[in-house]
Amino acid sequence: MNWRLLPLRVDDAFMSMAIDEALLILNAEKKSPNTVRFWRWLPSAVSLGCFQSLEREVDLEAARRHGVDIVRRITGGGAVFHDHQGELTYSLVCGEEDMPRDIVESYKIICDGIVQGLKQLGIPAEFRPINDVQVNGKKISGSAQTRRWGSLLQHGTILISPDVRLMFELLKVSPEKISDKFISSVFERVTTIERELGRRPSFEQVREAMIKGFERALNVDLVEGELTRAELDLAAKLRPKYASKEWLRKR
Amino acid sequence: MKYGEFKAPKGVIKVELLLSGDVISRISLSGDFFIYPEEALERLESSLTGVKVDFDNLMAAVKKFYQDTGAQTPLLTPEHWVEAILRAARS
Repeated sequence: MNWRLLPLRVDDAFMSMAIDEALLILNAEKKSPNTVRFWRWLPSAVSLGCFQSLEREVDLEAARRHGVDIVRRITGGGAVFHDHQGELTYSLVCGEEDMPRDIVESYKIICDGIVQGLKQLGIPAEFRPINDVQVNGKKISGSAQTRRWGSLLQHGTILISPDVRLMFELLKVSPEKISDKFISSVFERVTTIERELGRRPSFEQVREAMIKGFERALNVDLVEGELTRAELDLAAKLRPKYASKEWLRKR
Repeated sequence: MKYGEFKAPKGVIKVELLLSGDVISRISLSGDFFIYPEEALERLESSLTGVKVDFDNLMAAVKKFYQDTGAQTPLLTPEHWVEAILRAARS
């Protein structure tokens, strides 16, 4: 079976979320094919889970100071700092019928794309339910999924070399201060491709590895294609919602 | 506004609560959990409004919510919601 592979894109947080939703809506209407895409955030941004409280999770002043956008996702899960320089992000859209009904099972299949992709890079990784990929017990990728109108969207991070210190300045992770001790405890729980390899592959190298990984995990051929006019038009229409205060401050 | 949180096996449930005597007059749930479909969270909040804050009444309301909506919350059980709400109520 063929799925569409989109070219790498670099967009702001609001456009990226709008593209993901546009693909989900149009896939459900049978107007978009099953699709995998890899993309980056510009500027760096914090994404908030669908159910999270803005004020409780994000240091708004720090975000302003660092010029970091904040966007609420349509997917659940936690707040994530997405570093323009340090993260490749993926999104996958398909019909619900193309995945197991069981949610954790479907996470396992899709996250296996990341596991297989990391293997291509020489990093042994494993799926950790519900939605993480780990290397030796340390998280290297986190994903979030939603299902609507008969289709499924899953998007997630692939950590190449994010600025972990900035991450903890932006996210209100705990009452603990951002001491060096705290930062080093984070390094026990989170890892990156750069750290595992001892060198930093290019975004294109990581993308190529992940394409192979997803092909293997999904048992499909990813065939290069482009966003259609209809997808771009719908994304442009959805973008203002993601950029709005009402949506951001929903909880 | 009362506030409490509970770290479930997957996700932290955060509860803001307004009580009228021992009955929930307003409740707001947030956190890094997953609910399918997403709209169900608002249903959960409304099905908890007007409920007496004790374990049995809360459990009954949460279980009824799951039955009525068919909502799925991977690794989250009714007990986790109730524990988070009781923590907020005790705050």
